[in-house]
Amino acid sequence: MSVQYMPVIWNRNKIVYDAVLLIAVALYLYVYIRVGPAFEDVTRPIDGAILRMRAFGSCAFLMLTVILCIGPLARLDRRFLPLLYNRRHFGVMTAVIAAVHANYVLGWYFNFSPTDQYVALLSSNTNYGQILGFPFEAFGIAALLILLVLAATSHDFWLSFLGAPIWKALHMFIYAAYACVVLHVALGALQGPGDPIFTALVAASVVLVSGLHFVTGRMEAKRDRGEQTAQASLQEQGWVIAGDLDEIDDTCAKVVTLSDDERVAIFKYDGKLSAITNACAHQNGPLGEGKVLWGCITCPWHGYQYNLADGRAPAPFTEKISTYRLKLVGSTILLDPNALPPGTHVNPIEFGGDS
Amino acid sequence: MQTASILIEIGRYYLMAGGVVAVLFLAIGIDRVEPSSRGSYVFRPLLVPGICLIWPLVLYRWIRLEKHGEDAR
Ligand code: HEM
Ligand code: FES
Repeated sequence: MSVQYMPVIWNRNKIVYDAVLLIAVALYLYVYIRVGPAFEDVTRPIDGAILRMRAFGSCAFLMLTVILCIGPLARLDRRFLPLLYNRRHFGVMTAVIAAVHANYVLGWYFNFSPTDQYVALLSSNTNYGQILGFPFEAFGIAALLILLVLAATSHDFWLSFLGAPIWKALHMFIYAAYACVVLHVALGALQGPGDPIFTALVAASVVLVSGLHFVTGRMEAKRDRGEQTAQASLQEQGWVIAGDLDEIDDTCAKVVTLSDDERVAIFKYDGKLSAITNACAHQNGPLGEGKVLWGCITCPWHGYQYNLADGRAPAPFTEKISTYRLKLVGSTILLDPNALPPGTHVNPIEFGGDS
Repeated sequence: MQTASILIEIGRYYLMAGGVVAVLFLAIGIDRVEPSSRGSYVFRPLLVPGICLIWPLVLYRWIRLEKHGEDAR
């Protein structure tokens, strides 16, 4: 059932995505390193290594901001979906840029220290009890560790091996990483001589990320409530819950039992849903066990065929079976248990995409 | 100073243990618990950093998948 694993799966869209990403990152770093020295003054001398360290640090921060905005944006407007689609390459690149930033820190601040660079980094400031002069590097280290773990577990293998719940929980740590980075910057770079542009950028990022999540959270809660009332009112009118969209495999059916001798087969095909009686007009064969082809179901017993939209056998045959009305509320399928007269046309429910 | 060197030492041993788990898992475990990876070898080195970082979780999943098969997924 599964395909073999490949190191990286690229297709045209992903190549374009990665190329745009790489160009944007390179452009950002280039401009930062070129334009940065113009803001140099006596209080903030900027030399090459520090400048590059800052360029990579701020680049990683901005990338993390964008990553966290993509999710809610895609929920607000489907046009952002292409961004979501290859987010993992974005994440891996962010981890790489952040690692380069940390490497510059090690190379620059601790290059001449007699102790081991890593030891020096951890021990140079241990004032964990105070806010001003807090060892903000610790937050950077925590964030970098998280980003590295997430990048290292972004391959499809990990989703399957760890199982979706663990994998998703693990990748929720991206929010912890973001919080750590904000603290890293707020307690570090922002404590120094004021830099209005960077301060504004960090503030804008925090407002954007939390604002977008707040708005989409509200929106989804509202939609859920709307779906619940819609569902409740349909149930009041006698409709029954037939199950969830995900329960049905493509071109297959779910059979719902209404009473001892009334079963309904709900088919999923071509991004649509249709419901017909499960009983074939020939000898009551189980239509729900058949497969859909070209919008037609073939009875597994003797091969009678019916159009799913109207329950009629294709010409020249004249058999007719009952159809049923369906509604899709969110991802819940509701069924009107009153059979329509055999051969009644019912517009299939389109749920968009047969992914 | 003391604490810092101890932390770094712990980190070093942790990653070394991860290396051992990575070798064992990629040589033996992966084919047993992840059918889709049978016959694919090129992507395996890609998993080494991840295994080194989260090897306790890898061991946990390996044991669970050995015991409960696909139900554990
Ligand atoms: C081992 C991990 C890290 C260490 C040791 C580290 C260390 C530092 C140091 C020493 C500074 C200079 C602060 C100052 O100018 O006062 C800095 C700045 C910064 N770091 Fe990190 N960092 C680490 C990880 C990260 C990560 C993971 C990110 C983002 C994803 C990040 C983003 C930044 C930013 C945005 C700045 C401010 C740059 C600027 O001044 O424009 N750092 N970091
Ligand atoms: S019962 Fe369906 S074709 Fe005979």
